[in-house]
Amino acid sequence: MPVIDVKNVNVTYRVLMNKSSSLKELFRDAVKGKTRVIDYVALQDVSFTVDKGEVVAILGRNGAGKSTLLKVLAGVLPPTQGVSKVNGKIAPMIELGAGFHPEMTGAENVLFYSALMGRDVKRVKARTAAIGEWAGVSDHMDFPLRTFSSGMVARLAFATATDEQAEVLLVDEVLSVGDADFQAKSKARMHELINSGAAVVLVTHDMRAVLELATKAVWLENGHVKMIGNPTEVVAAYESM
Amino acid sequence: MKYAQLIRLLVNRELTLRYKRSVIGIGWTLLNPVLTSAVLWYVFSFVFASRLPSGQQFAPYLMAGILLNTFFNQGLMQSADSIASNGGVLTKIYVPPQIFAISSALAGLTNFFIGLFPLAIVCYISGQPLAWTLPLVLVVGIALALLTAGLGLALSIMFIRFDDTRNIVNVLLMILMYLTPIFYPVSVMNSTMQTIIHWNPLTSYLDIFRWAFSNNATPTLFSWVYMSIWSIFALLLGTFVFRKYWPRTVAML
Repeated sequence: MPVIDVKNVNVTYRVLMNKSSSLKELFRDAVKGKTRVIDYVALQDVSFTVDKGEVVAILGRNGAGKSTLLKVLAGVLPPTQGVSKVNGKIAPMIELGAGFHPEMTGAENVLFYSALMGRDVKRVKARTAAIGEWAGVSDHMDFPLRTFSSGMVARLAFATATDEQAEVLLVDEVLSVGDADFQAKSKARMHELINSGAAVVLVTHDMRAVLELATKAVWLENGHVKMIGNPTEVVAAYESM
Repeated sequence: MKYAQLIRLLVNRELTLRYKRSVIGIGWTLLNPVLTSAVLWYVFSFVFASRLPSGQQFAPYLMAGILLNTFFNQGLMQSADSIASNGGVLTKIYVPPQIFAISSALAGLTNFFIGLFPLAIVCYISGQPLAWTLPLVLVVGIALALLTAGLGLALSIMFIRFDDTRNIVNVLLMILMYLTPIFYPVSVMNSTMQTIIHWNPLTSYLDIFRWAFSNNATPTLFSWVYMSIWSIFALLLGTFVFRKYWPRTVAML
């Protein structure tokens, strides 16, 4: 059984034309009969599977539906039609540090971020020091996050997100955080996680990373799958476009 | 429950963050209702204190009203806001969004319970004994937390979709405040106003709270029934509205 099974997924956003973002405007427009709803199709009939140990790269231009697809996989956005089934614990590495709060200390943020990802708070508490050390911010852990540099925040987020092995990794361009040293370190850890048998979905514009890591590539264009298969072939076709 | 740990962290965060950069920190939670009550007490005690039934003191009457109103106002606005302001998280990591609204209501409840300590002191100073029905305050608190969370959930959808909802709700809350006998006894109003105040759900919550805490009001069976109905109704409304509209709303975050 595949770890991730996406079947005929459609996502349609309903958009109010002339976008009344206030009740007052909506009322005025409704009275004048001017409200118009259009459906914006973000994903159309997308199907693919990811097995244990597989690394699937999602390619496509901006607005092709990559982020929407990741949201569907993360379980955040329910598909309008079709099913997206994910078996196993997800580590969403999408915009690392979502949920970080500038007024809370480094340690508190690690705890909170982990709890958001569904991890056991007690276990994380025991790991906090190690996470801080790995991120190279040990002596800052008791200070509010706003005193951190942005690089330090990114490192702490990466260290927290990757501290526990998950069955499913959703990765959105996070392979390069911090300085050169840390990049090498984080890359090594990413490879370690990917090679440890997790099912990985990787969204990236970095074709070298795709060729290096992926076992399968999915090319999205305007919301539907344009090509799916061997990364070398898909990347070649994508780049010749 | 799977998310109990997260809720605890969220409540904690909400309680500590508001006063994080102030010197006395969470002490403001104690000081806030006291100061507000002191001002209103000074202004209104000349007008209203003599109109209360005998045996009821104005200071605890007033402060109980302020505590409950603060709980409802802040709790409602915060739980309605919580989902929009945590949109960054909710579009990346799956957590039931309702958790944020519930945590805000629980933070309001905690603040309310903390406020009971200065209220007890005010009771003591003004010579109003605490009542043996005190534990029932817990029931009122939970009922109000349910009301707050339920209405907050329903409003949270509106807050995300329409920018001006916040302002409208603020105005409505102010009207509601004046229609709640917080700093005046109901008896000073004419009969039409008394009827309106009677049907204001917050009046029932407040009457029961004042009575349970220090026998400072006379709730009826109606108050209990009305309170329960509103809490359950709000919870169902919030759950229903949220379930129905969330899938479409999350796309807007």
